[in-house]
Amino acid sequence: MIFSEKLKKYRMNQSEYDLAKKLVGRDLKEIEWPLFSALWSEHCSYKTSKNHLRKFSYRNSRTPNIDGENAGLVDLGNQERIVFKMESHNHPSFIEPFQGAATGVGGILRDIFTMGARPIALANYLCFGEPGADRMRDLIDGVVKGISSYGNCVGVPTVTGQTEFHPEYNKNILVNAMAVGLLTGDEKLALSRGQTAGSLVVYVGAKTGKDGVHGASMASESFGEDSEAKKPNVQIGDPFYEKLLIEACLEVIHQDLVLAIQDMGAAGLTSSSFEMASKSQMGLELRLDQVPIRDSSLTPEEILLSESQERMLLMCEPAKFDQIQKLFHRWGLEASILGKVIPEKLVKIYWHNELLTEIDPDLLVENAPRYDRAFEIPTRRLKIEKQNLNESQIKEKFLSFFAQPRFWNRSPIYRQYDQRVGTRTMKDATQSVAFLKLPSQRELAIAVGCRPEIFKQDVLLGSYDAVFYPALQMAIKGAKVLALTDCLNFGNPEKKDIMGEFALSVASIAEAAKVLDAPVISGNVSFYNETDQKGIPPTPAIGAVGLREAKTEIPSDQFQKENLKVYSLQIPFVTVESNSINIENLRKYLWQILLLGEKINFASSKMVGKGGTLWTLLQMSQDGVGITLQTQNIGQLCQEDFYRVIVAISPEQEKQFQELLKDGLFKNSFELLGTTKNNSFQITQNLKWNLQELRMKHKTSAQEVFGEFL
Amino acid sequence: MSRKTQVGVIRFPGTNCDQDVFSWVQREGLNAKWIWHRDSFSDQEFDLVILPGGFSYGDYLRSGALAAQSKAVESLISHVKKGRHVLGICNGFQILCEAKLLPGALVTNQSLRFQDDWVDVRVENTGPVCAKVEKSQKYKLPIAHKMGRFFAPADDLKKIQDSDQVWLRYEKNPNGSLDNIAGIWNAEKTVCALMPHPERASLEWMGSQDGKAFL
Amino acid sequence: MKFFVQVMPREVLLDSEGRAVQELLQEKKFPVTSVRVGKWIEVQVDQDNEATAKKMVEDLAQKIFSNPLIETFKVFGDKT
Repeated sequence: MIFSEKLKKYRMNQSEYDLAKKLVGRDLKEIEWPLFSALWSEHCSYKTSKNHLRKFSYRNSRTPNIDGENAGLVDLGNQERIVFKMESHNHPSFIEPFQGAATGVGGILRDIFTMGARPIALANYLCFGEPGADRMRDLIDGVVKGISSYGNCVGVPTVTGQTEFHPEYNKNILVNAMAVGLLTGDEKLALSRGQTAGSLVVYVGAKTGKDGVHGASMASESFGEDSEAKKPNVQIGDPFYEKLLIEACLEVIHQDLVLAIQDMGAAGLTSSSFEMASKSQMGLELRLDQVPIRDSSLTPEEILLSESQERMLLMCEPAKFDQIQKLFHRWGLEASILGKVIPEKLVKIYWHNELLTEIDPDLLVENAPRYDRAFEIPTRRLKIEKQNLNESQIKEKFLSFFAQPRFWNRSPIYRQYDQRVGTRTMKDATQSVAFLKLPSQRELAIAVGCRPEIFKQDVLLGSYDAVFYPALQMAIKGAKVLALTDCLNFGNPEKKDIMGEFALSVASIAEAAKVLDAPVISGNVSFYNETDQKGIPPTPAIGAVGLREAKTEIPSDQFQKENLKVYSLQIPFVTVESNSINIENLRKYLWQILLLGEKINFASSKMVGKGGTLWTLLQMSQDGVGITLQTQNIGQLCQEDFYRVIVAISPEQEKQFQELLKDGLFKNSFELLGTTKNNSFQITQNLKWNLQELRMKHKTSAQEVFGEFL
Repeated sequence: MSRKTQVGVIRFPGTNCDQDVFSWVQREGLNAKWIWHRDSFSDQEFDLVILPGGFSYGDYLRSGALAAQSKAVESLISHVKKGRHVLGICNGFQILCEAKLLPGALVTNQSLRFQDDWVDVRVENTGPVCAKVEKSQKYKLPIAHKMGRFFAPADDLKKIQDSDQVWLRYEKNPNGSLDNIAGIWNAEKTVCALMPHPERASLEWMGSQDGKAFL
Repeated sequence: MKFFVQVMPREVLLDSEGRAVQELLQEKKFPVTSVRVGKWIEVQVDQDNEATAKKMVEDLAQKIFSNPLIETFKVFGDKT
C-alpha cells in the first residue's frame, strides 16, 4: 500500500505521522499504524477538546479527583457513593439504530460497573429529526427499542430522559446514554490503575470477533456520501452476557481479587491495555494469540482494534487468578491470561512468540497531538420579546402545539423502558425529575438537560440553561443538585464557528457548575456530527444528580387534589427588559426555593418549559385534576420564561406561604394563578376546554410514529 | 410456635428481579434462601419456591425455554410432585409454562413492544399459595414485559376456565392476553404465576403496597 | 405461489441467541459444536410469473425481511 493511501486508511494526517515517527525514532511498523490510528483518534485522545475541558477541573469535598477513570464519583456521605457518566453513541445509532443504541447503553454501563459500582439507573438524551424525514421513523423506533431491549434485559431501570425533535437532526441523530451506579458501605472502588509488576493481565467476558474494527476512528469522521461503504463496523450487543459480566465483575472486585480493571470500549483491547499501562507507568506483555476469538481468521491488527462488546481487561496477583477464573466460570464466562505486567514501561505485543512491537505506552496515550484549533466565539443573543396575546391568539397558539413533535407525548417512548426493576424507583419518567430510594432512605434525584432550540439562538444562555434548568427542576422537588456529567455533541471542530460554540459552551457550563457548587465530574465529547457540511446545533447534554434529605413526600408534577392554590413564581434570570443574564442571582433564587420547600409542602411543582405557563399547566393536569385560572394576567401565558416555577399548595398553608414570599426574593414576582379543579381547564370565562379531551389529544399525539400503542 | 416459611428463590443466568424478590420475602418476615440454577434441591427443603422475573438466558429461543432445561427446574418438578408450593413472577411465569408446570404459553404483546405500566388485576380464584390475596378484590400492580400475552388453545383454555384455574384477570387488558388472563393456577392449585410484579408494589413509596398480599 | 425466506445473522458478527443456546446445550453435555439461530419466513405471492414473483420476494428479503448490515438471507421456491 502506498504511503498516502495508508494515511487515509488509518485516518492520520502527515503531521500526525511525522509526530509519531519523531516520538518512536523511526518509521512505524505495520502493527503500530492501527495503534496510533486508534489511540490518536479524536474519540480516544480528545486531541481537540482537551485544552478546553480543563475548565471542568473544579471539585469540592464530595467529589474526589479521580480524573482519567471511567466515570466520576460523588460521595453522598452515610457510606453511599455514586458513580455516573453520560456518553454518546450517535454515529453507530444512525447507521444501525437498534444495535447502535443498545451497544451505547452497554458501553456506558461497563464504565460504571468497571469501577465496582452496581448500576442502579439509566437515563438518556435523544435528538431526532422531523418524524417525516428520510428513515426517521425507523431511526426513532429502532433507537427506542435498542435502549429498551438492552436496559430492560440487563436489569437496570431507565428512569428519565429527554427527547427532542428538530429538522437540524435529520441527518445526525443524537443518542446519549447516562448510567448511575452505587457503592455502599466499604465496597471497594475499582480503578484502572494500580497494578504491580508481575501481575497477570486477564481478559474476561465475550470472545473477540470482527465487530466494529476501526470503530473509534470512524466515530471521529463526518458522514458523507460514502457512509454506506462503512457498514461492516456494526457492533452487536448482548445484554444477557452483560448481565452475567456485571455480576461476575462486581463479585471479583468486592472480594478484592483485582488490582485494576477497565472495560474494552472504543478501540477495544488497544485502548484498555495502553491506557492501563500508561496510567500505572508500567509495561505489559500481551500475547494476542491468547485472546479468545470467535473467528479463526482474525489478524493481530483486528484483535487489537475489535470492538466486540461485553469484554473487560483486568490485572490481578497471580495467586488470585484461580479464584477469579472459578468465579467467572460460575457465571458461565471465561477468564484468560493474556500476559503480565512488567516494570519496564513498554507494551510488548506478541503473536505466537513473535514480538510484533515494543513501545512506550505514554507515546500513544500521553503524547497524542493536542490541537488548539482556531475559534470564533458566537455572539448571537436570544432576544426575548414580551408577548401580549388576547384570548383568541392564546387559543390558536395553544391548539397549534398539539401537532408539533416538540410537544408530543413522550410516554410511548419511556413506557417501553422497565422503570422499576431494582425496586428503587420512587418517581419515574412521568415526572420531570426521577427519584430513587437509597439504602440510607435518602432520595437520589436524576435529571437531564439541554434545550437545543435555545442554542440555536444563544449559545451562552443555552449553556447556562443546560445546567440551571435541571438544577431548578430538582430544587422545586426539594433536592439539591450535587454533580454533573456532560455529553458535548457538536459539529466539525475544524470550523472556527463550531469550535467557538464548543469553547463558549464548555466555559459557560463550567461557570454555571461552579456557581451551583455542582462539579462536572465526567463526560464525553462527540465532534463531527455533520453530514454534507451541515452540522447540528450545539447540543451539550447535561446529566445531573442530586440529593433529597427531607422526610416529606416528593411533590408530584401533576395536580393530585382539588382546591389547591396554584402559584407562579418568577425568577429574574434573563429579564425581558434588559435581556441581561445574572447567574449569581440565580443561585440565590435556587436556595430560596429550597428553603421555601422546606417550610411549605409543595403538593405539586413544575418548571415552566416549552409552550410557556399554559402548556405547563396542561402537563400538570394530566392526572385529571385541572385548574381554573383566576389571574387576569393572561397575555404572557404562552411565554417561555427564564424562569418561572409553578407550585400548588394546600389552602391551609396559603397565608404562611404568602408571608414567606413577601419577606423574600420573590416579594415582587409571585402571583396566584388559580385553583385546582377536577376535569377543568379554564383560562377565562370564554376560554376553556374539556380536560378529558385535551388529555386524550395529547396522549395520542405521537401516534404517527408509535401507532396506537399508548 | 410454627416454624417460619422456608422460601427458595431461583437465580438463572439473566434473572434480574432476584434481589428484589429476595428482599421482599425477607421484609415480609419469611426465611429466604437462594437456589442456583445449576444446583439440585431436595423436595423437603422449601415450603415455597419463587421464580423471579427477568430475562433468563436473555429470553433467547423463547422466553423461559432455556431456563426450563436447568437442573433447578428438574428439582422443582419433584418439589411440585410432593405438593409443595411454587410462585412464578413474569419471566418465572414463562419458565413454568415452558416446564409444563402450568398450562398455556406467553407470547409477544399485541403492541409488539415492551410495556411498562400499572395495571389493576381482579382475583378470580384463590388457593393455598399467596393465601392472603382475597377473592374478587382488585390489586394495583406494575407490569414490565414484552411477552406477557397469555395464550392457550381453545380446549386448554376451556379446561383452565372450567376448573377454576384462572387466578387473576386484568381489569383493562394491556397486552392482548386471552380472556384478560394475568395469572393462573395449575390444576392442583399448588403452582401459580402472574405477569405483574407484586415485589415492586410492596412499600409505601413504590406507588402501591398491594403486592404485600402476595406473600 | 409460495416462497420461503431464511434470514441468518451474518457469519462475521456475533449471534447472541445462537451463543446462548449453544452454551446451554454444551453445559448439558450434548455433543453440539455450533448453534446459529435465524428466521424462517413463508410468503404467499399473488403472481403468475415465477421469475417476477421470485424477484419481488428477493427484493423484500433484501429490504424488509433482513437487515443487510447484520443479516444474510436465502430465498427458496416451493419446489426446492
